[in-house]
Amino acid sequence: MISLISYLLISLVLFIVGLVVMISRKNIVAILLGIELILNAAALNFVAYSRFVTNNLDGHIFSLFIIVVAAAEAAVGLAIVIRFFQIKETIHIDEATQLRN
Amino acid sequence: MFVQLLFLLSAVLTVGCAVAVAVTKNIMHSCIFLLGSLIGIAGLYATLGADFVAVTQIMVYVGGIVILMLFAVMLTGGKDFASRAQNLLGLAPTMGNKWTYGIGLFVGLVFLLTNIKLLSSIMKSYPEKTFGNEFPSTVSQIGHLLVKDHVLAFELSSVLLLGALVGAAIIARPRKQ
Repeated sequence: MISLISYLLISLVLFIVGLVVMISRKNIVAILLGIELILNAAALNFVAYSRFVTNNLDGHIFSLFIIVVAAAEAAVGLAIVIRFFQIKETIHIDEATQLRN
Repeated sequence: MFVQLLFLLSAVLTVGCAVAVAVTKNIMHSCIFLLGSLIGIAGLYATLGADFVAVTQIMVYVGGIVILMLFAVMLTGGKDFASRAQNLLGLAPTMGNKWTYGIGLFVGLVFLLTNIKLLSSIMKSYPEKTFGNEFPSTVSQIGHLLVKDHVLAFELSSVLLLGALVGAAIIARPRKQ
């Protein structure tokens, strides 16, 4: 039978992969991909605990709000990336050293 | 039986595509693999009986965020700046060398071995409930919860989305000159 620990292991793998993507890539869009993976790992944990430990649906609600926040974060983050590309002509993360010219 | 099969397929899809996101050099391919990983997570939600969350995951992530990422990649050129692979460990586009991985592995193993009793006791302290294969629909319950218990967070999320919409439109507007 599928148990809680299998979901936790998948979530662990997702979190670690997201962390590796975040710290190893130099492209800002790729870093945002890593952030999405980490947010999904957290949301998966919430739903897994909601099914196996508690009886209510609060984990589902929290997961939905994580999805909402991730959507807002992706929209604003990609807008910042596009603006940064208009100014600097590159999206290398090491070029982002100042907030204002 | 069907649930186990779906869980197995979703888990393999999720983990494999997530590892492929980290290993692939091409950012466009990384976005496509992220799409596969998110679909796998939606399948995992389905095996957990979270039908509404699974559908929302597919609609918002696969239909929205990954498409947005693909457009951002295409608008910004999609170059990857990772250095060439120096050795076997360098095949993953990571910036650390062998010593970083070795020290990390060693510290992790020491932490695991010294705390294994504590960790197992924590795991056992949650009494796991066992469920059958019945999956009641959660949509109406989630709707009631959203407008009763969590109504403040629900309303605040609408304000957040409006702010994100206006902020993204203002930040990404074309330069005037």
